[in-house]
This record gives sequence, C-alpha cells and structure tokens, in this order.
Amino acid sequence: MLNLFGDGLLVGTMLVLAVLIIVSMIRSVLGPRIADRIIAVNMTGTMIIMILAVLSVYLDENYLADVCLLYAMISFLGVVVLCKVYTGVYLQKKRIKADLGAVEDNLKHQEKNKEGRQQAAGKKGQEVS
Amino acid sequence: MVMAWIRFAAAAGLLALGLVFELLAVFGVNRFRLALNRMHAAAMGDTLGILFVMLGLMVLRGFSMDSLKLFLVVVFFWIASPVSGHMISRLEAMTDENLGEILVMHRKEGTREQEHEDI
Repeated sequence: MLNLFGDGLLVGTMLVLAVLIIVSMIRSVLGPRIADRIIAVNMTGTMIIMILAVLSVYLDENYLADVCLLYAMISFLGVVVLCKVYTGVYLQKKRIKADLGAVEDNLKHQEKNKEGRQQAAGKKGQEVS
Repeated sequence: MVMAWIRFAAAAGLLALGLVFELLAVFGVNRFRLALNRMHAAAMGDTLGILFVMLGLMVLRGFSMDSLKLFLVVVFFWIASPVSGHMISRLEAMTDENLGEILVMHRKEGTREQEHEDI
C-alpha cells in the first residue's frame, strides 16, 4: 500500500517536472535576447537534474545520483562557456576593447545610445506637434 | 507502520513544496519582461526548488550513501548557481544597450581597478 503510494508520488513529481520542462523550453525558443535563452536553458537543466534524482529513487539505482552530479557540473560549465562566448562575439561586433578599456568603451556606447534615443524622442515630439 | 506513514507524508510535503517553487520560477520567467528580472525568478528555482525536492527524496530514501550524493548535488548547486547567475547578468549588462539608467559597470574612486590602472 505504502509502496504504491510512494511510486505514485514519484511518478506524479516526474510528470509535473516534465510539463514544466516543456514550458521552459518554449521560453528558451521565444526568449528575445540571448540572456533569456541561457536562463531558460539553465532552468531546464535544473529540472532535468531533479527528474534524474527522482528516477534514481524510483528505480532504486545508485549510479543515477552520480549522473545527476555530473549533469550539474556540465550544465554549469555550459552556462559559463556560453556567456564568455557571447560576450566575446558582442565585443568583436562592436570593436570594443576586451580588457579594462572595455568599461570606458561600454559607457561611451551607452551615452551614445542614450543621446540617440533622446534625439529620436525629440523628432517624434516634433512630428506630433 | 505509523512512522512509515509519517515519513511518507513528510516526503510528499517536501516534494510538493519544491514543485511549487519550481512552478513559481517557470511562471516568473515567462511573466517578466527583462532578462535581469527573469534571472531573479530562475534563481529561486535553482536554490529553494532543488533543495526541497532533494530533501523530500532524502527523507523517502533514508540515511544512506545515495542521499548523501543527493545532498552533494544541492551543495554543488548552491555554489555554482550564483556564479552562473553572475556570468549571465554580466553578459546582459554588457550587451544590452537599452538598459536605460542602470549604470551597471560604474567604477568608484579608490577601488581595486583604479589602483590597478595607476600601476
């Protein structure tokens, strides 16, 4: 009786997590910016790790806990590498220096962007008036 | 027998709490509009969600090497999640030019970077 309930609990947990994974993957496809996608993929990885842990209890297999730990490490590595790669891609596209000069260059870019937006807003205001 | 039922109820409660946290994290990530806000919701699932799910499984499993490994996953996550969150937020702060008034890479006078530049 208790065994049956325990199995039902674990299967129910896995089902809920599977639905959440699907929603999270939809967000990783939709996410407008690259950071949104990385966040969604990271969350998907977290839920896959939970499913692995539940499965290790459900099937009574020891090695799935090790798989769980390794999956966590590789997922962390993937996030760090993706962030580094996309930062580098952005800097190369904008031809910004990658080291300490990056701070000043980035501030300059932000200032320029702010001025551009203000000009655009001014134009829009003139058109309205 | 009664003890077994109590243990089962505790495990079910902890698993349900973890699932609620995870549900809130997914809901928040889909609800917010900016990546920095979304990260806030996702971090909750990464810390509290996985903690409660693993605690529930450990209660269900009993004291053994397996539950120690599950606890190790939680410890690793609590170390790795802030680091990856920092990386993602730095990526967003560097690449998003429409962040507005948030001056993310502000450098104060007399910080370590300043000293470094003097050298």
